[in-house]
Amino acid sequence: MRRVIGSFAVCFAIAALSGCGPVIWQRFTLNQPITKDQVAFIQNGETQLSEVAKELGSPDEILNLKNRLIARYHFIDTKYFRINFGWGLRFFIPYYTPDLVLSGGGAGTDVFDVACDSKFVVQETAFAFHKSSSRFNFWPFAD
Amino acid sequence: MHRVRCLVLVAAVCLLIGGCAFVRGTYGEEVNSMDLSSIKKGTSTRAEVATLLGAPERIVEVNDHEIFQYYRFDMKSGLLLFFSRTNVISEDVFVFFDGNGIVQDIVVGKKKPAPDMQFWPFGE
Repeated sequence: MRRVIGSFAVCFAIAALSGCGPVIWQRFTLNQPITKDQVAFIQNGETQLSEVAKELGSPDEILNLKNRLIARYHFIDTKYFRINFGWGLRFFIPYYTPDLVLSGGGAGTDVFDVACDSKFVVQETAFAFHKSSSRFNFWPFAD
Repeated sequence: MHRVRCLVLVAAVCLLIGGCAFVRGTYGEEVNSMDLSSIKKGTSTRAEVATLLGAPERIVEVNDHEIFQYYRFDMKSGLLLFFSRTNVISEDVFVFFDGNGIVQDIVVGKKKPAPDMQFWPFGE
């Protein structure tokens, strides 16, 4: 009998943790990050934007600057953690389920910018790294 | 006792499957390579491009050039128990026009690999 109760307890724990349960780790990514090795072929003043696209894929965005344009490649990595300590109370309080939620996360974005002149020849390239801001954060009160 | 064990096992499997979802979604049409090869630099007009590829999702104006942008997103999402991961890949097409509305350049990237179907949010 004790074993059966134990098995039901395991099932209950699985139910509690599944789907819309009290705990979830979520992650969202957009595109794959571009490395410095992948862009080593770009020669400022020579390489065309269409050649860059053939190697790296098409950019996600083109911005207008004075007399030139910027093609931008985005990579986004978002992590999110959530725990609801009030979830189990629904079994003891039928009509009202209070929530006690701790959650936190972060979105890290890497950007690769390609600046071109009016003839779409690459003039400059630059990376922006913010990927380290993507993390699961259990304790939201920390500095 | 054996029957109870079976019931518990079935219940556990049902619960595991209950917290499980796999989703696939796309936004925008994949641009046909035949249509793209029909667009000729220096001769095709804005109207011809719009006839072949449809109206662009976005038009950008850069230094007297117009740029038609066609979006495409491919998404795969997995949820298993309390782990969830969503991967999205974007593949856009840009068509550049000169001041007279004639195609000057087409920026089409190489085909990116489809996003992975994953549920494990940790690691790379």
